[in-house]
Amino acid sequence: MAEKETRILLGNAAIARGLVEAGCHVVTSYPGTPSSEIIPAVVEYKKELGLNTYIEWSANEKVAFDNALAASLTGKRSAVAMKQVGLNVASDSLLSSAYTGVIGGMVVISCDDPGPLSSQTEQDSRFFAMFAKVPAYDPSTPQEAKEMVKEAFELSEAYQIPVILRPTIKVSHAKQSVKISPVKVLDRKADFKKDPERWAATPKYRFVLHKKLNEALKKIEERFEQESRWNYEVKASRDAPLGIITCSVSFAVLMDILEELDLKKEINIFKVGTPFPLPQKRVADFIERHKRVLVMEETDSVIEYQIVDKSKVLGRLTGHIPLQGELTPDVIYDILARVLKEMGMADLEKSGDERLAKLIEDLNIDVRRPTLCAGCPERAAFFAIKRALPRAIYSSDIGCYTLGLNLKAVDTVLDMGAGITLASGFYHAYHQDENDVPIVATMGDSTFYHSGPASLLNAVYNKARFVLVIMDNEITAMTGMQPTPGSGITAEGSKGEKISLEELIKGCGVRWIKTIDPYDVENLIVLLKEARKYTQKRDGGIAVIVARHPCLIRYPDVCRENPVKVVITSDCDGCQYCLDYFECPALYLNEEKDRVEIDRNFCVDCGVCIHACPKGAIIPV
Amino acid sequence: MKVQIVLAGIGGQGILFSSKIFSELGLRLGLDVMGSETHGMSQRGGSVTAHLKLGGYQSPMIRTDTADILYSFEEKETYRTLRFLRRAGTCFINLLSEDRFDKKILDHLKKKEITLRAYDASGAASKIGSILTANIMLIGYSVGTGLVPFRHEDLRCVLASVSKKKDLKMNLKAFDSAVREGRSSLNPL
Repeated sequence: MAEKETRILLGNAAIARGLVEAGCHVVTSYPGTPSSEIIPAVVEYKKELGLNTYIEWSANEKVAFDNALAASLTGKRSAVAMKQVGLNVASDSLLSSAYTGVIGGMVVISCDDPGPLSSQTEQDSRFFAMFAKVPAYDPSTPQEAKEMVKEAFELSEAYQIPVILRPTIKVSHAKQSVKISPVKVLDRKADFKKDPERWAATPKYRFVLHKKLNEALKKIEERFEQESRWNYEVKASRDAPLGIITCSVSFAVLMDILEELDLKKEINIFKVGTPFPLPQKRVADFIERHKRVLVMEETDSVIEYQIVDKSKVLGRLTGHIPLQGELTPDVIYDILARVLKEMGMADLEKSGDERLAKLIEDLNIDVRRPTLCAGCPERAAFFAIKRALPRAIYSSDIGCYTLGLNLKAVDTVLDMGAGITLASGFYHAYHQDENDVPIVATMGDSTFYHSGPASLLNAVYNKARFVLVIMDNEITAMTGMQPTPGSGITAEGSKGEKISLEELIKGCGVRWIKTIDPYDVENLIVLLKEARKYTQKRDGGIAVIVARHPCLIRYPDVCRENPVKVVITSDCDGCQYCLDYFECPALYLNEEKDRVEIDRNFCVDCGVCIHACPKGAIIPV
Repeated sequence: MKVQIVLAGIGGQGILFSSKIFSELGLRLGLDVMGSETHGMSQRGGSVTAHLKLGGYQSPMIRTDTADILYSFEEKETYRTLRFLRRAGTCFINLLSEDRFDKKILDHLKKKEITLRAYDASGAASKIGSILTANIMLIGYSVGTGLVPFRHEDLRCVLASVSKKKDLKMNLKAFDSAVREGRSSLNPL
């Protein structure tokens, strides 16, 4: 390999490259947008370069964290990757390990999702760094993310502390021509040195560890003060009254806008790559030299809050930066325009074409919401649930099946595992008033392995009653087809130990478990009604239906085995029931004929829509 | 060369593959490449866009009013993404003909000196044997018209290098055919 080879890399692939260039021995993760592409990229590098990396898709983020941490305690380098809300799940481990520290370098990659584009919150992982008292790196580009990963390992080993790398979605899913460097192979054999006062510290020793952590943080802050690679100024060519402190993608966006408007010579920029601990002296010095300083950061105000003297500072706290949402180029342009105007520096042209916007608005184009794919087994299951138990409370969960929302078969989506916990909570709240309401919880297979068992055994133990439908498509579909413990395939594609979903459910104490293919809509409806009856029986309890059919995207061939070709007869009167309550992308209204037709480009011949027409107009050929 | 490209369409139309073609083209031409893609939930039948910036940009996102070229693989997605296009920019739409496009908007674009070209890439792709090549054909067509700063040979080489082995022949056939159609659209015989 050439010393300075350039490759087009997705941000997450650049992060993966950083891991292998740093000689990282162990990489673990639970998939979640925008972090999911890191593990597959590490697998590819491992194969390409013949490395000995241990890579795993873990059952959840906490599990992933602990597995990586243990490797670090043996002296190896390890990394754990997750989406930002995954760090909530792993936070127990993160906060505790900040005290105990690490031996081999450990990097915690937490990918943020300003917008949010594919998450339940816009939380800023840098707050977790502050909360846990661990340092954070905040890259602006894939290239920088790769270099920061390597530096993070050095820092982690120098101060024996886990280090957070916080890419936002526009770093993780940016694509850049990235200069790659040679891979380091660190020959380290696992060597765990017993030290119970540290690794099994009781509260008394925890106090001592906390003191050490605070001392380490102080030293890290001093190091970040000296750091010129990640924390640097882009200087204006003349005396500038305005300075901007910025980080992550906002820095890159700002630089492009200043270049475009030829404003680089007017404004000083201080780019912060280490937002925690903040290099306080340099920030204070930068503020000192300007009349006003705008702090522009994503997603929340981590740098701004840390600034001690805010008298010259403009930011979220002064209402100059939106409190929510992504800082897109348009948003940053508007912020800049307002600040430049307020300071009497420039009057920028208004962004956007109002006339065009009005013309487009007049077209009344529907928002194209995400939908389940044509032939998705989850649509079939939801359709049956709505038919069998139309008045139930539907608690659901995180995954493709969140899109059951469109079918009005999802009432709640809170977080991973809450499909079951909210169902049991709903049950007890109603049962307390002696009310019996039907409750149907839905959850995907991967989500169940992630956080289902504790929720389910708790519900059984405390005598809750509801119907749980586990939609088992044998894959983690939404995040890009990662294997699950139930698929029995490991991250590297080799055979792992397959976990039986039914045995796991049985192990949680459930006594009524049935498995069915959701394509068999009629029998699924019968089964759901039976399940509901079981929840009402004197000696009944929680009823679980495993609705098993493979994901069509991942296993297209399985579904081609028994094609059911359908046609729509002249009995179709255009009532659109199928469009509203079945919502298959392959069905559309031909407005001229006022009839529903089939788009053969999408149709996969699943035949499930036969059940979706109340007029019986969809029939098999 | 500095060029900013927006690719718009819906999940399954090959936006990410098209983005790959342009990013590898940048690499081949020795340009700094920066761009962004939609992954995750929106891929399930939702709107998908990709931004590509070649020749020395730092951020992966394109600002409203600044894109040089918009490729839209679906009519409605065009309306949703037109705002990115700069004055005197160029737009290629996968659409039966320009007459199908909203008249008022078309007039407005003309005033902004924006060139809009419709090409029935889906129809052409079906005819050639694979609807999946519609994205490649729209790009090929644009090259044929000479309205974009990319060379036929460069894009063809890149296409060959990024295509899966089983798709290679079909992709090149579709691309070449669309380039020819693009050329002849300029000089009708």
